[in-house]
Amino acid sequence: MNIPKRIANLAAFCVLCLMLAACAGGPRFSEMSGNIPNLGADNGRIYIYRTTVLGAAIQPDVRVNGVVVGSAAPQGFFYVDRPPGNYKISTSTEVDRDLSLTLESGQTRYVRLGISMGFFVGHVYPELVDDAEGKQDISTLHYTGK
Amino acid sequence: MIYSVYARIGFICGALAVAGCAFDVMHLKQSPAQYEAVTATNQIWVLQDDLKVSIASGWATPLKKGTTWRQVGRIKEGDVIRTRDQIVTVEASNIFEANPVIDHEKVVGFFLVVENSFTPADPPAPINLLLKKPIEGGTS
Repeated sequence: MNIPKRIANLAAFCVLCLMLAACAGGPRFSEMSGNIPNLGADNGRIYIYRTTVLGAAIQPDVRVNGVVVGSAAPQGFFYVDRPPGNYKISTSTEVDRDLSLTLESGQTRYVRLGISMGFFVGHVYPELVDDAEGKQDISTLHYTGK
Repeated sequence: MIYSVYARIGFICGALAVAGCAFDVMHLKQSPAQYEAVTATNQIWVLQDDLKVSIASGWATPLKKGTTWRQVGRIKEGDVIRTRDQIVTVEASNIFEANPVIDHEKVVGFFLVVENSFTPADPPAPINLLLKKPIEGGTS
């Protein structure tokens, strides 16, 4: 094998290692769903998750109404329980991206963190998804909550 | 010749910079809305065709065929309808949960629920809603 090819292979291996290291490492939803507490009568629940490993090095904080509740770890999910009301889910890289949504008592909402092209770094943006799609998405993801 | 190369590089960098700025300049056109909730009725409407509603600055919002809708409120631009069958959002640089606003069988815009504001459709989109058989004892 010639030297440039070896260097290319080594570089590819390093990138793969970095991507794997950047991914979430907690238990999968399917392994821990039985341990997730039931939703309290006066609260709603927001699942926040990221499926893609694209731009794995970019893991901004995720804020709910300005309070940091987690980070955008690739292939990770977490949830927050909140009283009914209006909420703003935000991420910040080189730009801020917001999603505004309502939450009702007993309601579960699913917010996916997508990634789009940016000028210097990718932009992580929150989007509201249908319940069925959200449930499907998080089933294989790893828990990154505290 | 060298000057020409530098000029081209400068132009490309400038274009990229402008494109980069464009990521954050799609602000939604909004106006404050005086929302008035309406008493729940047992009238449920079914959307007969897929529909994409465009807005002035942002991406079109799809409304799916077969989804069921009921009126939940009113603003001066029209009747506010809502569904539980799909997510409805309006998307520009940011994303807003929204409900369509109907006037004279057209979607004239969206009511942004959290912002309590109205963003107009551009152009207003004809909507084909069919009244479903009323449900006894009101709606969910």
